[in-house]
Amino acid sequence: MITKEKGEVLIHVDNLQKSFGDIRVLNGISTEICRGDVLAVIGPSGSGKSTFLRCLNLLETPTGGHILFEGTDITDPRVDINLHRRKMGMVFQQFNLFPHMTILRNMTLAPMKILKKPKEEAEARALELLDLVGLKDRAQAYPSQLSGGQKQRVAIVRALCMDPDVMLFDEPTSALDPEMVGEVLEVMKKLADDGMTMVVVTHEMGFAREVATRVMFIDEGIIQEQNEPAEFFSNPRNPRLQSFLSKVL
Amino acid sequence: MEFWQSIQLWWQGLCDQFTQCFIEANRWEYITDGLLVTLEVTFCAVLIGIVFGFLLAIVRTTHDKTGKLTLLNAIAHTYITVIRGIPTTVQLMLFYFVIFAAVRIDPVPVAIIAFGINSSAYVAEIVRGGIMSIDAGQMEAGRSLGLTYNQTMIHIILPQVFKTVLPALANEFIVLMKETSVSAFIGLNELTRGGDIIRGITYTDFMPLIAVALIYLVLVMILSRGVTILERRLRTSDH
Repeated sequence: MITKEKGEVLIHVDNLQKSFGDIRVLNGISTEICRGDVLAVIGPSGSGKSTFLRCLNLLETPTGGHILFEGTDITDPRVDINLHRRKMGMVFQQFNLFPHMTILRNMTLAPMKILKKPKEEAEARALELLDLVGLKDRAQAYPSQLSGGQKQRVAIVRALCMDPDVMLFDEPTSALDPEMVGEVLEVMKKLADDGMTMVVVTHEMGFAREVATRVMFIDEGIIQEQNEPAEFFSNPRNPRLQSFLSKVL
Repeated sequence: MEFWQSIQLWWQGLCDQFTQCFIEANRWEYITDGLLVTLEVTFCAVLIGIVFGFLLAIVRTTHDKTGKLTLLNAIAHTYITVIRGIPTTVQLMLFYFVIFAAVRIDPVPVAIIAFGINSSAYVAEIVRGGIMSIDAGQMEAGRSLGLTYNQTMIHIILPQVFKTVLPALANEFIVLMKETSVSAFIGLNELTRGGDIIRGITYTDFMPLIAVALIYLVLVMILSRGVTILERRLRTSDH
């Protein structure tokens, strides 16, 4: 699945800032995300972790700093962001499936409209991916006929239909009933095992500990601490992180 | 017996009136010709209303969401304010007697343009409400897949909007159809005027007015029925 060199820098974030009016949400975030990385981003609500993720594909326009994606500065207004978003899949807390389309159409729309794939090819790829997440038989269903966990699995494979280089997850399990969290995490784990580069904003500490290659703690709009998961959870140094972990673990 | 006789007389009178109003000298043609004009004006005005209404709504919401199209938005805003602020009848007469005064033009196209433009302002506000009611996540999902703003609007937002606003649009078009009855002011021979002409010839009010009223009622019922069927077909995705 991964053809390009592992470890090459995919996203370079340099002093990223974002304000909404007078409220400063991101106060200068710098990091690098390499091919094959699974970065888990954790932090209290309102810490800026979702905003950080949404800045990576410019759903939020940064008010300062730079984001280099595959060598291109996508914060440059002259860059056509649509070309780069194709390579960055995104999964939302609220799934955001298109309710007026079948599951299959949800998945084939972008490949057909953007990549100009023929219908048969797009559908074959979509069915293949649906099969991987055990939902091939729901291809002709509408989103409203699916459970939350099924919707989120569809949302993940919908993004995969564009063959992205990185997948961004914005609290993908936070809107799910507890018994459906597992099925979604399992798909994400499979994706990580296949070598997909992932940035996951999450409250699932188990996932962060077991699947992530690096865990990042954001609070008050800056990276307070980041480390590989074992060290991060067993030996947190930042007092804010210590207090946060003591509350959620 | 007297009672039955009076009923019979009344019925006879009614039949005579009917014959006088619609059968003699083929006067029913005033009604049918008028009906065709009413339908023609309504249909064309609805098309203009939908096309311009959607365009205006897209301009307004695109401006609200992205801050672009400032000039177009200002124009759209003024347009909607002016059109909604002036009574339809006055607008119609302005078009016929002022704007198109220099050219001796048929009142049919003038009525179509006037009602189409009038309707577009109302459609614009209905559609704008519809666009705003769609969850922001839909636009984000489309954009995050790499679709452009326009592609997301066309393939994802507008089809959902159309479904949401259909009942309100249907209402607007029912109002529009009945509103065409004021076109008599510019001498348009539509349904209401057809009835009026018969009233003028025969000096009877009951028959022509009842006929005209019933035809409007039936038209509205057919239109509502059509919309109900359309709604049901569009509802396939909400099981």
